Amino acid sequence: MIIESSDQMPRATLLKRFPVPRNFGVAPESRISRGKTWSAPAGAKCVKSFDIYRYDPDSGKNPRLDTFEVDLDDCGPMVLDALIWIKSKVDSTLTFRRSCREGVCGSCAMNIDGTNWLACTRFISDLDTPATIYPLTNMRIIKDLVPDLTHLFAQYAMIEPWLQSKTPEPEKERLQSPEERSKLDGKYECILCFCCTSGCPSHWWNGDRFLGPAALLQAGRWLADTRDEAIGERLDILEDPFRLYRCHTILNCTRTCPKGLNPGKAIADIKKMMIERRS
Amino acid sequence: MPNTTAGRNRPLSPNIQIYRPQLTSVLSIANRITGVVLSICAVVLVVWLLAAATGPQAYAAVQGVITSWIGQIGLFGCTFAFFMHFCGGIRHLVWDAGYGFTLRSIYASGWAVVAASVALTVTAWVASLFVAG
Repeated sequence: MIIESSDQMPRATLLKRFPVPRNFGVAPESRISRGKTWSAPAGAKCVKSFDIYRYDPDSGKNPRLDTFEVDLDDCGPMVLDALIWIKSKVDSTLTFRRSCREGVCGSCAMNIDGTNWLACTRFISDLDTPATIYPLTNMRIIKDLVPDLTHLFAQYAMIEPWLQSKTPEPEKERLQSPEERSKLDGKYECILCFCCTSGCPSHWWNGDRFLGPAALLQAGRWLADTRDEAIGERLDILEDPFRLYRCHTILNCTRTCPKGLNPGKAIADIKKMMIERRS
Repeated sequence: MPNTTAGRNRPLSPNIQIYRPQLTSVLSIANRITGVVLSICAVVLVVWLLAAATGPQAYAAVQGVITSWIGQIGLFGCTFAFFMHFCGGIRHLVWDAGYGFTLRSIYASGWAVVAASVALTVTAWVASLFVAG
């Protein structure tokens, strides 16, 4: 009942999705239809079904949901292993991003069983039956599980994620005490997977102007950096009804971060900084 | 043109249609819904007060609606909405001060809000039965 870290799965689930129609508010080109079912190879004993979102931009058809039966004895333990097994043994057109396979690059971020996480750090044994795999929530889809992250990176660039200082460069490093360096803990570790931003309902409704938890966590990272001298300018960027203040402390971000970071807290601290500088 | 491919708009991946309801998002939307319900309740309250000020017939008419079984269910729902919005509001004030952001605190305070809302609603109705006789 009490979740202590974001990698904890809920013990029981009352509802797997909000009680809205399947295609609630969905534009015609985004409606999902039923797709093919790909059965497990003969002789497979340990079989699990995966419902995976597919979209082929060259076909001109709408996205669909394909069902793949995966032989778990032939496949690694993580969801990414299942995707790679499907791609190599069943349907080589299945498209997804991946790189490090250890949860540090952020490429394989997707919506697994209703929550955003990294496919390479989610155990298959933790999944529902059938497991559902969708791309990152509320993103324009290039193909299958590959979202277009252009505007998310543009929002990241808007907060100016680089050191800004007016004092001349020191001869060696810009020194920091351990206490000053510890202010960056919990912020610098962000791998920009955008699980948080794409899981934020406020970003779903106002994503064009609300920056989202990932960009705001990094804004907090630069505001907390004692070597940076542009606190005023950084806070000026956020003086806008939408960029920071569409955050209504829903806290889906903190719940879903695959690295265990806390964007919600960082945003609350930024809001406090915005008030404190007025007094 | 990041949103187009071969002239068509790229599809948008589903959001509320498939995202798992979690305590975080459910309590947040409940706070908003109870707020809307309370706004409607404010109007109903004004109607009730105006009826009381107008005279016995108007008051009896409004009381007839409120004391009917459907009115009582509505009243119960409104008291629950009031207490849930109140406890949720306190939770938000604590967050605005900067406290209670660990996942453990978020979940503990969330369940506390649900429990307190139910407990306060039941207490209020039991107390009202004692007062009314």
